[in-house]
Amino acid sequence: MVVKHNKKSMTGNDAASYAALFAKPKVVSAYPITPQTTIIEKLSQYVDEGKLDAEFIIVESEHSALAGCMGAAWSGVRTFTATSSQGLLYMAENVFWSGYGRLPIVMPVVNRCLAPGWSIYQDLQDSMAFRDAGWIQIYTKNNQEVFDTVLQAFRISEDKSIALPSMPCLDGFVISHTTAQVDLPSAEDSFNFVGEYSDPVIEVDTEKPWIFGGLVGPEKFIKDRTDLMEAMERAKKKIVDMNKELGEYFGRTYGNGLIEIYGDDVADLTIVSMGTIADEAQDAVDKLKEEGLSVNEMRVRTFRPFPEEDIVEFAKKNHKLLVIDRSVSFGHAGQLRIEIEAVLHRNKVDTSVEGRIMGLGGEDVPYTKIVAAAKEALRSRM
Amino acid sequence: MIEVIQISRGGSGGVTGAKILAEAAIMYEGLYAQAIPKYGSERRGAMVQAYVRFDNKPIRIHSPVYEANHALILDLSLLDRIDINSVDKEGVIIVNSKKIPESLKGSGRKVAYVDATRISQELGLILSGFTLVNMTMLGAFVKGTNVVSIDNLEKAIVSFWGEKRAPKNVAAALQAYEETKVVIA
Repeated sequence: MVVKHNKKSMTGNDAASYAALFAKPKVVSAYPITPQTTIIEKLSQYVDEGKLDAEFIIVESEHSALAGCMGAAWSGVRTFTATSSQGLLYMAENVFWSGYGRLPIVMPVVNRCLAPGWSIYQDLQDSMAFRDAGWIQIYTKNNQEVFDTVLQAFRISEDKSIALPSMPCLDGFVISHTTAQVDLPSAEDSFNFVGEYSDPVIEVDTEKPWIFGGLVGPEKFIKDRTDLMEAMERAKKKIVDMNKELGEYFGRTYGNGLIEIYGDDVADLTIVSMGTIADEAQDAVDKLKEEGLSVNEMRVRTFRPFPEEDIVEFAKKNHKLLVIDRSVSFGHAGQLRIEIEAVLHRNKVDTSVEGRIMGLGGEDVPYTKIVAAAKEALRSRM
Repeated sequence: MIEVIQISRGGSGGVTGAKILAEAAIMYEGLYAQAIPKYGSERRGAMVQAYVRFDNKPIRIHSPVYEANHALILDLSLLDRIDINSVDKEGVIIVNSKKIPESLKGSGRKVAYVDATRISQELGLILSGFTLVNMTMLGAFVKGTNVVSIDNLEKAIVSFWGEKRAPKNVAAALQAYEETKVVIA
């Protein structure tokens, strides 16, 4: 049965704060940075007002913020933080440590470009730089999805068979500071969805002391990395299950949780993108169809683990993909395009791929620009 | 979809005003809405833009408003910073002004004008030397466009500011709603 919702008006950052509040983390360890700041500002307020029974650790840097979460996660409690851009970079050592260390931390990344040039606007360069850090990465398209994804992230990360940290990603300003409708379930129903963190993936036991971060030989090292790879594989099914459960409990789903298809099943051109560009691309698809052009859309919601099977299955029915990246791997191409080309090649799918880099440094990507890019791609199709 | 571009000066409450307008539409008018503040070097006194969208279905557009249906100008001296031709010919230019602005005279445009600065000052809506004209101009916006009702705007203002701070803000919106003149310039 779908639970009751209250219609609310709030920013994307507020949606993230509400989800964290309702999930009742025991430790929030955080440091402010634009455009993330209002997430942790709200949480510190909730702690201060007694609405959230958590230890709010005020630290001097992002590196320490995540270190605080790591310590808390080791002690077997639910933990939360959030960051952006330069803050995420400053955390770098601990981002990898908590990923490879299998710590179930939930950390929304409010996507903002990296300096120089100094800018506070959105692109995906920051979280993309951490695609190899062993974190689940889910890219959201609107305020509602931010709320839902943060709740789901606790379930995914804290599953003992997965035990990986999660980054729900939201575009800076475009989501984080934009006010829009969010259908908010009650605190109780939200907590029921997440559940108690009663069976910790790891828990320090002072009766049974053991060493963290000790020296390991290649054999154990490789086993750990192989385990991590397998946990990522299992996370795919978990994300699909969480999407189904979200549907049953809250009455909303996002594609199959990994990818979301919009428009016809088969078209001359498929627009592929992530985040808010993918939401706006749906308007582009409608516009192109009105003009008699055959275009559909695939939104990649989950980037890590990368949904190879789902992407391949959809791509092989279609003729050409236009992949829009909001980040670049310098010396190669946009990361989404790179990965899509790789899985198509590995699966011997010959659907052609054209890549476009759009929206860097907060450049607007209105649907009119997506329409123009799609028309060019249709003209040049083989 | 109805799209609005709002221009104000930092310190006059424009970003908050846009948020409350979206809230009135979402919470009380039964519409979907969006308020997008355009962040930058928003120092006090500098020009600040915000965009508001309304629709009867979920809004998937996230980019700024380029071709607005209505323009809401909180400071008369910023009127020339917007290309009026980019605003829908059928739309309304809502401006904080004692009279029809010279530059709009004879334009044939629908103009809603009110002396919001005076109303706000009389009500003591001044913060750190800046006159807060945001709620006042929302009253003018509602008079000019009817996108949300004045009752629903009032509910949103009360809900946002709370019992203690709401009265002056509500009074500003209501007085502006009464005083706003809507004319073809």
